[in-house]
Amino acid sequence: MNVARKMVRWGQRKSPWILHFNTGACNACDIEIIAALTPRFDLERFGVLLKGTPRHCDIMACSGPVTRQIESRLVRIYEQVPEPKLVVAVGSCATSGGVFNGLYNVKGGIDQVIPVAAYIPGCPASPQAIIDGFAKLLKTLEEGK
Amino acid sequence: MTVGSAVLNILVFPGFLFLVAFGLAGEFVDRKLYARLQNRQGPPWYQPLADFLKLLGKENVIPEGADRPTFRLAPVFALAAVVASIFYIPLGSTTSVLPFEGDLIVVLYLLVIPTVAFFLGGWTSRSVFATIGAFRAITQVFAYEIPLFVALLAPALLANTWSISGIAAYYAGHPWLWLVNLLGFGVALVSLLGKLEKVPFDTPEAETEIVAGSFIEYSGRRLAFFRLAIDCEAIVGASLVAAVFLPFGLGLTPVLGILVYVAKVLLILGILALLRTLFARLRIDQMVHFCWSVVAPIAFLQILINLVVRELI
Repeated sequence: MNVARKMVRWGQRKSPWILHFNTGACNACDIEIIAALTPRFDLERFGVLLKGTPRHCDIMACSGPVTRQIESRLVRIYEQVPEPKLVVAVGSCATSGGVFNGLYNVKGGIDQVIPVAAYIPGCPASPQAIIDGFAKLLKTLEEGK
Repeated sequence: MTVGSAVLNILVFPGFLFLVAFGLAGEFVDRKLYARLQNRQGPPWYQPLADFLKLLGKENVIPEGADRPTFRLAPVFALAAVVASIFYIPLGSTTSVLPFEGDLIVVLYLLVIPTVAFFLGGWTSRSVFATIGAFRAITQVFAYEIPLFVALLAPALLANTWSISGIAAYYAGHPWLWLVNLLGFGVALVSLLGKLEKVPFDTPEAETEIVAGSFIEYSGRRLAFFRLAIDCEAIVGASLVAAVFLPFGLGLTPVLGILVYVAKVLLILGILALLRTLFARLRIDQMVHFCWSVVAPIAFLQILINLVVRELI
């Protein structure tokens, strides 16, 4: 691996910009994701910034079970994110469908539709758990897995 | 000037490398100060560099239907115009690299080019939000640009020269006369906030209303160059204001002179970060109204003061 590639990979580990996408959550996980970005928890310590557009983001933080209505939109947003990209499933519903699993209008967890890099369980996932999940994900990137 | 020293000037000092390094450091100072004022820890010192390198490695997406040449060239033009304007601004002494009579006007026009590039980039990317952002950017130009021009021309009027180096030399030779220009200094700072699209004048990229404004469709290295252009523009704008309004420590040795210059630029960046923490975003109509009914009259008052002072001395 040459030096330029190493520098870019270092940048990717140190500057994960996230896009927050609600795939049908009850809003609890969304509130906790926003809470993790507030001054009290301060995710900017790790270089995390919240971005509004998929073109600027590296990590999609998805919350909630994938409903049939949001499924095509989720794929569309995912395809708009430029490579390299990662998806983090935040909350129990996002990891497995949670209590909504098996409903006629619910497809299941995020990984039923798009590839997921990290799962953060919890109902809702607390800001501490979210920060821990992101830190562990960035650490795996460091090891080159 | 030999070819060797010209290349050195363009690529290293005060050209590309120096400006990029100082620009990234300036972004860190701004973000760290902003974080500390919000009682946060803030990003580590290498954060702007990490952002830049990461964006260089990302995929470049050009939206369907966009005007490809304009979309590609807009970030390059923005950065090139900003880097070109540093050669006419004196850093730490009373002469710039290429001083000539009238370079103040050239620099002011070069610093409009990034805003035009933001407009063209947003306009050609065919996104509705980007188009709104582009229109707001160009509307904002008409609000802050004239107070900025008038505020910077008032010291020139007193110094009786249109060259930034000449202005710096005049005020270095007449200590305490800079106190006359304090109103203009305030106007220039407010206009600089508008030029850099920072809060309270960040309507063109208001992320809570129009997502990211003109830059919404940009990704990868083109976004990296736009961000770098804004960082460098902050440094060039602060250097211009420092050269015209803060003429201290200009007769020192080169190294000490550069240190004083860096301190002045950091002071101005600090004031801008403080203002951006203090205020909330204005609507575009409030911004235009504020600039025309408050800032512009103060700038014209500065011209009047300088005309009177010029008759007295």
